[in-house]
Amino acid sequence: MFPSNVQGNAVAESDLDLVQGTLDLLVLKALAWGPMHGYGVARWVGATTADDLQIEEGALYTALHRMERRGWLSAEWGLSENNRQAKFYRLSAAGRRQLRAETARWTRYVAAVTRVLQTA
Amino acid sequence: MPGRDGFRRLFRLDRGDRDVDRSVRDELAFHFEMAVADLVASGMTAADARLEAERRFGDVGRTRHRLETIDRARVAEGRRVEQWRNILHDLRFALRMLRRQPGFAAAVILTLALGIGANTTIFGIVDRLLFRPPALLPNPDHVHRLYFARTDNGREFAAANVSYQRYLDVVNGTSAFASMAAFWTPRMAVGRDNANEMRVTMATASFWQVFDVTPVAGRLFTAVEDSPPAGEPVAVLSWPFWQATFGGRRDVLGTRVRIGRVDYTIIGVAPRGFWGLEQTAPAAFIPLSSGADNFHGPFGPGRPSWRQGYGFNWLQIFARRKEGVSIDASTSDLTAAFKRSYALQAAEQHHLPPADVARPRAIVGSILTERGPNQGTNSKVALWLIGVSAIVLIIACANVGNLLLARAVRRRREIAVRLALGISRTRLFSQLLVESTLLAALGAAGGLALARWGAGLLGSVLLPDLTTPGSVIDSRLLLFTSLAAAAAGFVTGLAPALQAVRLDVTTMLHGGARDGASHRSPVQLGLLVMQGALSTLLLVGAGLFMRSLHNVRDVRLGFDADRLSFVAPVMRGVVLSAAETSRLHERLTGAARVIPGVDGASRTESVPFYWDNEDNIFIPGRDSVNKLGSFVQQSVSPGYFATAGTRILHGRGITDEDRPGAPRAVVVSRMMAATLWPAQEAIGKCVKVSADTMPCNHVVGIAEDIKQFSLRDDPGLEYYLAAAQADATFGVYVRTSARGGASAETIRRALQREMPGVSYVTVTPLSQILEPVTLPWQLGATMFTMFGGLALLVAAVGLYSVLAYGVAQRSREIGVRVALGARPRDVVTLVLREGLGISLGAIALGVVTALLAGRWLAPLLFSVSPRDPVTYGTVALVLLLVTVIACLAPAQRAARTDPNIALRAE
Repeated sequence: MFPSNVQGNAVAESDLDLVQGTLDLLVLKALAWGPMHGYGVARWVGATTADDLQIEEGALYTALHRMERRGWLSAEWGLSENNRQAKFYRLSAAGRRQLRAETARWTRYVAAVTRVLQTA
Repeated sequence: MPGRDGFRRLFRLDRGDRDVDRSVRDELAFHFEMAVADLVASGMTAADARLEAERRFGDVGRTRHRLETIDRARVAEGRRVEQWRNILHDLRFALRMLRRQPGFAAAVILTLALGIGANTTIFGIVDRLLFRPPALLPNPDHVHRLYFARTDNGREFAAANVSYQRYLDVVNGTSAFASMAAFWTPRMAVGRDNANEMRVTMATASFWQVFDVTPVAGRLFTAVEDSPPAGEPVAVLSWPFWQATFGGRRDVLGTRVRIGRVDYTIIGVAPRGFWGLEQTAPAAFIPLSSGADNFHGPFGPGRPSWRQGYGFNWLQIFARRKEGVSIDASTSDLTAAFKRSYALQAAEQHHLPPADVARPRAIVGSILTERGPNQGTNSKVALWLIGVSAIVLIIACANVGNLLLARAVRRRREIAVRLALGISRTRLFSQLLVESTLLAALGAAGGLALARWGAGLLGSVLLPDLTTPGSVIDSRLLLFTSLAAAAAGFVTGLAPALQAVRLDVTTMLHGGARDGASHRSPVQLGLLVMQGALSTLLLVGAGLFMRSLHNVRDVRLGFDADRLSFVAPVMRGVVLSAAETSRLHERLTGAARVIPGVDGASRTESVPFYWDNEDNIFIPGRDSVNKLGSFVQQSVSPGYFATAGTRILHGRGITDEDRPGAPRAVVVSRMMAATLWPAQEAIGKCVKVSADTMPCNHVVGIAEDIKQFSLRDDPGLEYYLAAAQADATFGVYVRTSARGGASAETIRRALQREMPGVSYVTVTPLSQILEPVTLPWQLGATMFTMFGGLALLVAAVGLYSVLAYGVAQRSREIGVRVALGARPRDVVTLVLREGLGISLGAIALGVVTALLAGRWLAPLLFSVSPRDPVTYGTVALVLLLVTVIACLAPAQRAARTDPNIALRAE
C-alpha cells in the first residue's frame, strides 16, 4: 500500500511527515499543467499548499531527478520566462499513467483513513 | 510564453559524468537565482533572501550529490540501452546483408565452420587428456596419483603400479593424506552364457571416500565387504553397463551377475558419467579383495597370495591430501614411507640394489596420468594436433578476412554514402565487426555440428581409448567454441572495418567503386601469401608423416604381423594342471592347423608388444650374462618359424625331433648369438635357463632378430625353446593365408569347441596388437593430410575468389589491352603471373618455416629427415598445380573479355 515505499532519507522534516510517494504525486500533479523547471514546481507546490506542507525544496529536486531516471519525466534545457537557461521537466506517457494510478490510490487511502477516524 | 510547450528548446545533451555535474550545478544555480530574486522583490535584503532561500532548500551539498548520483546512473543506463539497441540494429542489418548474398555467406560460414570445427574437436580431446578432472571428484587439486620412482642404471623410472604390500606400507606409513585408495581395471569376462570381456575396476573401499559418489540406485560397497583375504562378491554397476545390459531396471539390485568366475550380487549403480579414473566407463566396480583372487586364480601352495610380497606390481594408488598440507610436505611424508617400505622389500628380495643406488623417491603427481611423470604419446600427439588445428583456423580466418576485404572494397561507395550522411565512424566500425561476428557465430554453430561428427570419426579411428559417444559437446566445449568464434569474428572483421573507417569520403563519392578497387591491398596479398605458406607447412608435415608411416610399415619386424593371430585361452575358473594345460595347448594347435584358410599353427609363450616372459640365463664359463640385457623366452611347437614368418639364418628351427627326452634344443636370435659369443660359432653352445643348475639347452639354430618392444631400437635378444621340452606356453599362434584378421571369428568358433566348461578363447590378430605401436605415425599422417588438404582447399578457394574478383574489377583495363592488340594468351599469362607470383612467395615462406619447425618434428618422424627434399619438392609441385587450377577459370574469363562491352560499360 501507499506508505510502503517510504525511504527514510527522503522524508522531509516538517509538520506533516511527507512520504516519498506523496512528494512524487505532488510533483507529477504540478507537471500535469505543462512543462516546468524545478523552481517553478517548487513555487507551484508552495502556492497550492499555502506552505502547509513545508516541503524542503531539495527533496523536490531529488524527486524530479529520480522520476526522470524512471522515465516518468523527460527533461530538456530551455529558456525561462526571464530568458535564462533552465532545465524543464515534462510528464511522459508513463508519468501520466503513474499520476492517474497514484491519484486513485491516494484517494482510496485517504477515504479509508477518514472512515476509520469517523467511526471513532 | 513562446511556443506550444512554453519554452524554446536548447540543444543540450547530458552524455558524460562531467556533463551531468555541470547540468546539476546550472540547475541549482538557476533555482537560487530565481528564489533570491523573488524574495528580494517581496522586500528582503539580498543577504536575508540568500539565507531564506537556502533554508527553504535544505542541505544543498547533500542534495547536489544525490542528484549527481541519480543522473549518472540514468545516463549510464541510457548508454547501455542505446548500445544494445545499436547491436540489435547492426545484427538485423547484417542479417539483411547476408540474405542478399547467400553464396558469399555460405562460403564464409562453411570456411569458419571447418576451422572452428577442427579446433573444437581437438580441444575436446585435449581437454579430457590434460585439463578436465575426473567426474565427481571434489576439490581435484587435492587428489593425486602416487608414483614411486627409483633409479636404475642412472635412469629414474617412476612406477605408477605397485604391489598390495606397498600400498599397505604407504597407507599405514603416511599422515599427510586424508584418504588413499588402490585400484586396478583389468578385462574380465562378464556375464554367464554370452560372456564378454569387459573392463572391471576392482578397488579398495576407500575408493569411495576420495570421490563424492551418490549411487543412482542401491548403495556402494563398504570396508567390511572389502576385507582381505576374500571380501564379499558384491558389485556396483556403471551407468552405461546398467543401461546396456539391464535396460536401466531397478529390480536388478540383489540379482547376480557373473564376473570372472564368481557370481556377484548387484548392490548399486554408479551415477551417469562416473568412470572412476578410467577414460571410459568400466562395466562394474567390485571390492579389491573379492576381485583379486577371482582374477589371479588360486595361488597354490608355495605361491604367495596377492597380498604378500613386493614382486607383483598391479595396483594404482591415488590419494587426497589433507587440508593445509602442501604438495611438498605430502611428498616428503610419502617418500619417507616409501623408503621404509623399500627397506622391507630389500630384506625380502636380495638382488634389489641398495637404497643409496636406487634412491627411492615418491611423486605426488596430478590425478591426470597425462600430466604425471609418465606422459604418454597420446598427449604429445594431441598437443601437435592443437597446433595443426590452430593453423587451420588461422587459414580459415585469413580467407574469410580476405573475402570480407574484397566485399568491403565493393561496398566502399555504400560506406562512403553512409559516412557522408553522418553515421559516426565508431558506429560503422562496430557495425562491420558485428557483421563478421555474426558470420563467426553461424560458423561456430556449423563447427559444433562438424565437431560432433568429427570427434566420433577422429576418436573411433585414431584415439579409440578416448572416445565416448554422446558426451562430445558440453559446457566447456561450448565455451571454447564461443571464444574461438568471438576471436575469429574479431580477427576477420578487423582489417575490413579499419579499412572502411579510414575511407576518404570525398574521393570515394567522386571516383566510384571501379577505380577504387583496382589496386589490390597489401593486406589482401599478405593474407593470401600467409594462407599459402601455412598450407605448405601443413602439407610438408603431412608428407613427412606419410613417409614415416611408410617406413614404419616397411620395418622388418621378424614376424608376419599381417597373417598372424594370437589365440589366448581364458580359463574362467576351470582349473587345469600343468600337464592338462600343455595338452590343451597341443589340442588347440592341432585343431587350428586343420581349419580351412590356416597355413600353420604353433604354441607360443611371448607375443611382441603384448606379453613377454623373461628369465635369467646362464652360460657355462661366463659371469653375469644377465647384465647384458633382458632375454625374451619363447617356447614353441615344431614349425613355429614358418608359422611366425621368422627366418632361420643358420642351423635349424625347432622340429619334431626335439621331443621330451631328446637332447634339449634352443634357437637363439642373431643379436643374442653375437652378444653372447662374439666372433664364435654359436651352434652347439650351451644355454641354461632360470638357474645354473638347470640342464644345458644346445643351440641348434640362429634366427633373425624380431622387434619385441620397439620398432626403432629393439634389443633383439630372444631364445626359442621346444614347447615339448620346456612347458611354458601361454597360447597359440595361427597363421592365416588371408591378410589381416578376416578369419578371426572362424578361428574362434573352431577352437572354442576344444575348450572345457565355461572357459573360452580370444583371437587377436597381431596387426591389432601392433596398431597402438604405429598409431603416432598413423595419427600424424592422417591428421596432417586431413588438415593440410583442408588448408590447401581453403587457400585455393581464397586465391580463386580474389583473382576472379580482380579480373572482374579490371575488365576495363583488360578490355583496353585487348583493344590494343593483346591476344588471349597474353591475357591468360597476365592472370597466371599474378597467381603464381603469390603462390611462389607462399611456397618460399612456407618452406623456410617448415625447415625451421622441422627441428621439433624430427623426434616424431621415423627414418625420414625433417628436410627430406622429396617431400618438399612434391609439396611445392602440388601447390603450383593447385594455383594453376585456381587461376584457370579467372584467366579464361579474362581472355574472353570483349573490349566493346568492357569499354562501353563505363
